[in-house]
Amino acid sequence: METLRKRNQNTGWIILFLLPVLALILAFFIYPILFLLYVSFMEWNGIQPMSFIGLENFREIFSEDVFRTSIKNNVIWAMSAAFLQIPLALLLALVLTRAPRGWKFFRTIYFLPNVISLVALAMMWSALYNPEFGLINSILEAVGRGELTRNWLGEIDTALPAVIFSYQIYVGYFMVIILAGTMSVPREFYEAAVMDGANVLQQELYITLPVIRGIIVTAGTLAVAFALRQFETTFLMTAGGPANRTPVMGLYMYRRMAGLDYGKAAATGVLLIALGIVILGALQRVFGKSDAVGDSQQ
Amino acid sequence: MAHDSLNETAAPVRITAHTAKWILLIVYLVIAIFPLLWLTVSAFKSNLEIQTQPFALPAVWQFQNFVKAVTISGLHQFFLNSFIEASLATAVNLFVTSLASFVIARETFPLRKTIFTAITAGVLIPIVALMVPYYSIIVALGIYDRLLALIVTYAAINIPISTFLVSSFMTTIPKELEDSAEIDGCSFFQRYSRIVLPLAKPGLVTAGTFGFIYAWNEFIYALLLTSSRSARTVQLAIRFFTSQFRTDYAGMFAAIVLTMIPTVVVYIFLHDKIISGLTAGAVKG
Repeated sequence: METLRKRNQNTGWIILFLLPVLALILAFFIYPILFLLYVSFMEWNGIQPMSFIGLENFREIFSEDVFRTSIKNNVIWAMSAAFLQIPLALLLALVLTRAPRGWKFFRTIYFLPNVISLVALAMMWSALYNPEFGLINSILEAVGRGELTRNWLGEIDTALPAVIFSYQIYVGYFMVIILAGTMSVPREFYEAAVMDGANVLQQELYITLPVIRGIIVTAGTLAVAFALRQFETTFLMTAGGPANRTPVMGLYMYRRMAGLDYGKAAATGVLLIALGIVILGALQRVFGKSDAVGDSQQ
Repeated sequence: MAHDSLNETAAPVRITAHTAKWILLIVYLVIAIFPLLWLTVSAFKSNLEIQTQPFALPAVWQFQNFVKAVTISGLHQFFLNSFIEASLATAVNLFVTSLASFVIARETFPLRKTIFTAITAGVLIPIVALMVPYYSIIVALGIYDRLLALIVTYAAINIPISTFLVSSFMTTIPKELEDSAEIDGCSFFQRYSRIVLPLAKPGLVTAGTFGFIYAWNEFIYALLLTSSRSARTVQLAIRFFTSQFRTDYAGMFAAIVLTMIPTVVVYIFLHDKIISGLTAGAVKG
């Protein structure tokens, strides 16, 4: 009787404590996703009533070159996160783990760009890439390779790589996550290997990597999720140009909204979420499950 | 630090590996910090110097670039908006997530894990995909172009990461403290407010720091959910500069540097908390 009453009392408190967060999750995550799905089947300009048009929005956006390029670019962004950003973060983490002194200093500086906004960094990189006075062309000229100078963001071949390269300044975030793993590998693991004559590369390959695989997948999952959100960088550095080579789905969606075509904007949003699920699912199949994301309370 | 003695491999291998290691560390150090230093120094140059002397220090440090940046654009208004929005969004976010984290970390009840997963899974959703619904919701609530629009939106968007960080921290607080408090007659609410909340302060500081930095730096929804000076943030002010000052790079750089100061200052004081928060989240699993 006593315990039963106590549990009932607490149940009320528990519900009360969860309520604000659950209400906000419902209002800003669950309902918006359902609403997005709903609107994607509608023709809607945001003012007049919606009318159901089935899959017409999807059919129409897929028929556009610029939309197909946007999907392709989102996939390239996601792949760059998984296969460029994460290896780089891993390499830096492995090196820092074995760096004798000052590793904390490096860690602090590497992370620093992550507290600066994408807007500020995008404007900064636009200036660095500027064809007239940009630092990158100036450096190339200073070292006598003036023939390599170009309008990095304005030329078809270099625009997308230049934008993606600029984003690598955020590597420190994932390096810090991976570093937490590499630092926690017990050193006895290595002592035995050293006695057996394993060199540094073998130690990392056969000891460190298997032990921290889960953390690398966690970092990779976040990196891909963040890369799929990309909007500012493209919006501010190239606005999708030159010749529509650099747009991403977020930018396409924004343009559709600005053109009061909410149905097609919503269809784009649905496909972006679906793309995220497909890519993250595929990565998990290949590399195994992640350690922490959404599954930590063991 | 961790494996000093492990570098005892054959000498030639060691020297090349050692050199390569330091080259990599320093090259990435330059990539991470040099552009920011260049930007900051350039903000003190004249426009002519920016275009003709990319590597030199300014001949005269042009402090008026900053004065001009503020007076011409009314940057102080955007700063005030950003401070209000980021602070209140963080406060609301911490209040609601500390309540939820308390019960998730300290109580047992049905669906506890499911609820936790449902809340934290939000971190993987590409938030940019939700432009249409967020815009519709904010308009329907009648708060479009008000400070409240961004306060509510940022507070909500940060719930997954905050809940993750705060509840991870709260699980580490010993249960005995609460048990003895309960015997002393503490109510459910007092266990939260007097025992767990004060002890969870480091976790709250980490989550709050992430939340504030996110809100200060956010761009997409600031662009989408506001339209006038009275609600727009510093991130939009930077963009306004690019059209306002087509050729005045000095003014634009000065404005960018000013908008970076708050988060960089926060980082200087709290970098250990930020990094350890991220680290704790990563190794928990």
